[in-house]
Amino acid sequence: MREPMIEPDVMRISWGPQHPMSGQTRVLLDVDGEKVHRIIADLGFTHRGIEKILENRSFFSGIIPVDRMAMVDTANMSIGYVTAIEKAAGLEVPERAKWIRTLVCEMSRINSHLYAFGLQAESTGYFPAVFLWTTVDREVLLDLFEELTGARWSFNHFFPGGVHHDLPDGFADKVLKAVKYLRGRFKDYWDAMVENPLFENRCDGVAILKPKDALKLGATGPVLRGSGIDIDMRREEPYDAYGDLEWEVITEDACDVMARTKVRYHEIGQALNIMEQIAQSIPDGPVKGRVNAFMRVPEGEYISRVEAGRGELGFHLFTNGTGNPYRVKINSPTLRNMYVFERLAELNEVFVADIPVIINSIDPWYLDSDR
Amino acid sequence: MSWLRKMLKPLMIVAPYVLRNSQTVAYPTERLMFFERFRGRHVFHLDKCISCGICARVCPDASIEMVEIEGKDKKYPQIDYNTCCLCGYCVNQCPRQALEFTDIVEFATADRSELVYSPERLMEVPDIEDILPMMKRRTEAYLTDKEMKYRKVKDV
Amino acid sequence: MNSNSLISGTLANLVQADQFSLMNIPSMVIEFLALNSKPLLQVLLLPGLGFILGFAIFAVWFERKFLARAMLRVGPYYCGGRAGVLQVFADFLKLFMKEIIIPTAIDWPFFVAMPVFLSTIPSLALLLIPFASNWVLWDVGSLSLPMFFAIMGIAPLIPIFSGWASNNKYSFIGAWRVAYMYISGEIPLVICAAGVAIMAGSMDLVKIVEAQQNMWFAVPQFIGFILFFLGIFIESERTPFDIPVAEVELVFGWRTEYSGILFGFTMMAEYVLFQAWTLMFITLYLGGFNGPVLMGMPTASHIFWLLAKFFVLVVFIILLRCVFPRLRMDQMIKLGWKYMTPLALLNLFFVIVMKILGVV
Repeated sequence: MREPMIEPDVMRISWGPQHPMSGQTRVLLDVDGEKVHRIIADLGFTHRGIEKILENRSFFSGIIPVDRMAMVDTANMSIGYVTAIEKAAGLEVPERAKWIRTLVCEMSRINSHLYAFGLQAESTGYFPAVFLWTTVDREVLLDLFEELTGARWSFNHFFPGGVHHDLPDGFADKVLKAVKYLRGRFKDYWDAMVENPLFENRCDGVAILKPKDALKLGATGPVLRGSGIDIDMRREEPYDAYGDLEWEVITEDACDVMARTKVRYHEIGQALNIMEQIAQSIPDGPVKGRVNAFMRVPEGEYISRVEAGRGELGFHLFTNGTGNPYRVKINSPTLRNMYVFERLAELNEVFVADIPVIINSIDPWYLDSDR
Repeated sequence: MSWLRKMLKPLMIVAPYVLRNSQTVAYPTERLMFFERFRGRHVFHLDKCISCGICARVCPDASIEMVEIEGKDKKYPQIDYNTCCLCGYCVNQCPRQALEFTDIVEFATADRSELVYSPERLMEVPDIEDILPMMKRRTEAYLTDKEMKYRKVKDV
Repeated sequence: MNSNSLISGTLANLVQADQFSLMNIPSMVIEFLALNSKPLLQVLLLPGLGFILGFAIFAVWFERKFLARAMLRVGPYYCGGRAGVLQVFADFLKLFMKEIIIPTAIDWPFFVAMPVFLSTIPSLALLLIPFASNWVLWDVGSLSLPMFFAIMGIAPLIPIFSGWASNNKYSFIGAWRVAYMYISGEIPLVICAAGVAIMAGSMDLVKIVEAQQNMWFAVPQFIGFILFFLGIFIESERTPFDIPVAEVELVFGWRTEYSGILFGFTMMAEYVLFQAWTLMFITLYLGGFNGPVLMGMPTASHIFWLLAKFFVLVVFIILLRCVFPRLRMDQMIKLGWKYMTPLALLNLFFVIVMKILGVV
């Protein structure tokens, strides 16, 4: 990457890949004392060429790399691709399969937001307690995934036309039990972390992103909803069973890091409500139509947009009548949010000590920004 | 005074965690029971296989190759665990359920060629007690309202 | 005094040269030990080498186990029985055997010397603390309180030197963060200590403890009590004040470039500073070694009470690590100058007023 010139009187720190907290990225900070003048994000460390890989694989085989685009949030990634293929092939998904898909997607969303919560706590120095509690709570969800699909992380449970396995016996009761357990834990998180005076000191008023700037710079997901704008793909273009269930879009008006944390917190609450509704009143029926692992799809151009945990994920699918896609363009939420992150240093006064807090409030997952 | 209460509340919440059970499973002296759909190593049933080759064609990573074994004249699947991602398509698509999953996850070797499992090797399923001689008990997790606990299922 | 008897005993033995023969060595050794038993015990065990190293080892093990329990996991588990008691020894042994990587572009005399100083200079200050009325290893009489602060005043310079000598951007930021933090955090502590000295009427630590026999100084000087408690965290760089070593922002602050046993020294230094300041806090505000006499042995029971208070406070301070996140640098400076210094002066004012009115 060709880096811009360093101005005089400024020190350039590479908050780099060899760092306890940076994740798989490098962020160059132009620092004068404790104040950050400029942020330059250097992405691309985990580029695997998924878009090219998908051109060489059949549609069924292609779901597997797309699953691995975000390990904490796999269901929301693969539902995008599967919905695009279903639009292309004109397939109808049975009702029960749609509800099971929504259940798994919401559990993935809780998984992703819990992980973001834990990282947010770790970035303020609150390392011991909250990050490992979220890991323990995610174990409950991962056990549910294992019981339903057979794998904990990157289950490929969806395919164009339905889901692979039906719910096992007694699964609805287990889901309700897990919901009850998680609701009890969330009270603890609110009291111990979100209302912690020192945590509020670190997070209030930091990195304010006004609504006009959020729309202009292209923020998405909780970053956008933390600035007061309510846009949520599950409501704009309802897919699966989101149109049949009762849930709300969460927005906060404070526009700072604390607002984004609260948006994620309340979204977990909404996801728990959805899980409860699904477990109590899921319709009966088949879960898969006809399965053709070597399906061919008519020629055309199809778009699907879903709401992943991090923001809006888009798949633009070009097909040419064969068993492989011609081109898949993946529109990743993290890439757009990282652009917002770069501009935050111009909009506010940012300290070096704020950088981990801000970057974890944006909740990047570099595997889907680099694909 | 409300500021003081706000400062003390995290202390009151975090301090009792010291007295809770730990959530660690002390592998390898304990091993968790996996659910029945868990995707571990494959097991191959020779008498059910009709050598159609669908498993080799549907495998996304091209890890399955149909090879000959001695004493038979049809070809049977050989799985290469260097590239197998345990996705489950071969198990789903097999028309006779000749390939199934077990719960063995301990098949690390020192040599890459040993990870290519021929059909004869896939037919044998060793006992967990033979693979892990230091294991003492099997545990399973169950969920109460307040925490997730681990209890012993059986001694070994 | 004690130090004179050490030297006089040895010299007296060596002077008897005409009776010197190999058969006399055992009796010389026994005479030496008999004359100097108490100073030797103090130097080797309590409060000298044994106590400092033993506490460092115990505190590392205890902190890892305690934090692990708060995080719902087990700490060290396999090394040395189920409790993992030998884990710390294993870690130290590993650090001894690792290579000390010294980059070329650094200032290597400072680089190598600074961790060693940081582990040993605060131990000097620790020797001033009285463990019983007649159990002070370094007895400087009425200069002991200013001597403690004088020695501890060197402590901030050492991370600054090592941060500069490391020639690394992260260490450099860690170094001037140390400077900011100690400048704003140490002045209120000295003022609070001055308040204690005025109330006790002397600057001798033994007399300060003896003046608290009726009532601990924490009760009339509660403002100073809270400020000095915060001071323990600031001086020993523990969460929520471990700003120079913020692992999520700078890789390890001023300790980034250290590896091998030098890294072990920097870790030990944190515990030595922690020990020194906690014992000083107990001496000034919590009554030091005062406590009811057990089993008719005043010296031993005084030592017991001091250690008991010390361990309770150590557990509480380690618990506070789990509970609160870190402060930011500008919040720390604001705290130091806008809140702590005026409150310390207020505390001093109260003490002077109470002393003039003859209340305490």
